[in-house]
Amino acid sequence: MIFRKAGYASVMALTLSLSFNAFAVEEGDDAPAFSLPSIEQGQPDISMAALEGKTIFVDFWASWCAPCLKSLPLYNEMYRKYKDQGLEIIAINVDNPVEDGLDFLIDTPLDFLIPSDPDGETAELFQVIGMPTSYLVSPEGKVELVHMGFRTGDMEIIEEAIEKVLAAN
Amino acid sequence: MLAACTQVRPWERGLLAKEEMAWRTDALESALNDHIFFSKEASSGGSSAAGGGCGCN
Amino acid sequence: MAKPSRSLLALSTTALALPGIAIADAPPVNSSLSYKVSNYQEDDLDRAESPFGDLGRYDIDVHQFQFISPIGRAFSLQIDANYEDLSGASPWFTTLGPNGSPIVNLSGASGIQDRRAELNVGTRYYLENGSIGGNVGYSQENDYRATYGGISGERHFNDDLTTVSIGLSYSSDDIFPTDAEIFNRVISEDKSSASAVLNISQIINQVSTFQTAFSITEQSGFLTDPYKLVDTRPDKKTQIAWSNSYRRYMRAADAAWHINYRFYHDDFGVTSHTSDMSWHQNLGSSVQIIPMLRYYTQSAANFFTNVDDFTSPATNFQSSDYRLSAFGAISGALTLKTTFGNWDATLTGERYLANEKYSAFNVSQPSTALVRYVRVSLGLDYSF
Repeated sequence: MIFRKAGYASVMALTLSLSFNAFAVEEGDDAPAFSLPSIEQGQPDISMAALEGKTIFVDFWASWCAPCLKSLPLYNEMYRKYKDQGLEIIAINVDNPVEDGLDFLIDTPLDFLIPSDPDGETAELFQVIGMPTSYLVSPEGKVELVHMGFRTGDMEIIEEAIEKVLAAN
Repeated sequence: MLAACTQVRPWERGLLAKEEMAWRTDALESALNDHIFFSKEASSGGSSAAGGGCGCN
Repeated sequence: MAKPSRSLLALSTTALALPGIAIADAPPVNSSLSYKVSNYQEDDLDRAESPFGDLGRYDIDVHQFQFISPIGRAFSLQIDANYEDLSGASPWFTTLGPNGSPIVNLSGASGIQDRRAELNVGTRYYLENGSIGGNVGYSQENDYRATYGGISGERHFNDDLTTVSIGLSYSSDDIFPTDAEIFNRVISEDKSSASAVLNISQIINQVSTFQTAFSITEQSGFLTDPYKLVDTRPDKKTQIAWSNSYRRYMRAADAAWHINYRFYHDDFGVTSHTSDMSWHQNLGSSVQIIPMLRYYTQSAANFFTNVDDFTSPATNFQSSDYRLSAFGAISGALTLKTTFGNWDATLTGERYLANEKYSAFNVSQPSTALVRYVRVSLGLDYSF
């Protein structure tokens, strides 16, 4: 499990401010429901409920987050590879102003669903701890993988988890 | 000037991530200045551990 | 002919600037290669400051290289290499001039050359909530050699809003002045320096951050300037520094305001205040203009004298080195920065003026050799 609860508890004891880490969405939890407008004008709203039977990879990203920008083209390749097997990607952009996110997409078009969450309400719902964070959700709505950050070797870890979930469904 | 500290969530750190908000926006410039001032003035130290390095003093 | 020991540049940029945001710690996403070339030129002395000797001071060219790269999932590597080429002269001794005020005699002149080369290698290991790192370095010039190293660790707390870091470093230096026998200088001496720094940084809100750092350094060994005709300093020196920095992004202007202040004190008797601020103004998405203003002031060392006393026994502490006198310095700089693709280029011009009239401390003995200089730099940075 990625979140070591005991470690966090002792760190929180030292700090004065309230931390929400204890309530973060973890592997095994049900994914929170959400519905967000698309970042593109005139496109329909995006929600997991509308993607029945699909394995969904939810990713939180922003144009100011360097590892996010590195991961997105690689996620695009991953989407093309697995979409016929039932994978959907929802890449939630948290840029505020939204224009910053749109500017990035002009240079780097992506094939998957991109909602806009400029006030961070859905990020708050998922209790995102760092940028980027991604969640692999099974067709039953269970969180199978929580992945923080993006570094060398992460694509192998993520694809392995996706193949496992796709095979089980 | 020092407003009360607020809980800035991870997705709210876009402005802090701007290059111009770094502690040192140009590492080579900072190193150069640290050293010019070290060799032309009596003071040194503060934000980073100093090390030896030159016959300037 | 005296050769200056002063060389401008030095060491480490310690492995790394802390970004204002911290993600569960990871090495930098991209590699970068940076180069900066600079020319530093001191104003000539005035005739009134040096009636009988040369007037030309230092002229220094500096080349800096830096390479930073992630290594695998959890490491990063940083290599710094510096080279400098120095010519000029520095104050050799001071006496009373013809009209009763102190005058300076420079180290006599033509064709003084010194070259310095330095290499510093550091690595960093990234963990869940922080990182640890170490570096070793070596610097070599005609009359000076330094071997140094350091370790540091940092940890994030409080949802990464607070970062605490500690650094330790040590340097072992050897001094072997040129023309030692001719000028009756020490043949070979050594000195060492150890320092510790504690740094705490805090994200205040969505647009501002604050940092405070405290450092203590102990130097021991040969701390005297071997190129001065008369100069004797203690063989131990303790110094403390406390620096504070604030960064604030101004939304309406699309600019960032930086302000720094440092307090310093050592047991040679020098106390100083350093404050500087800069304004990082974006002009569109690929150009930035950065004006900077700095004010510095220091008190004199206990044993500073602006006229060398040749009759004082060699065991008495004394020095007429202008860097130990009471003075103030004002400097201003302007940087133009542009981004194109994976490249960044910067151009900087700086003017520095030291003057006893700028001092906030009492000046009982103003030095006649205070420095004024111009520095110009061109930098290039490539990310890949």
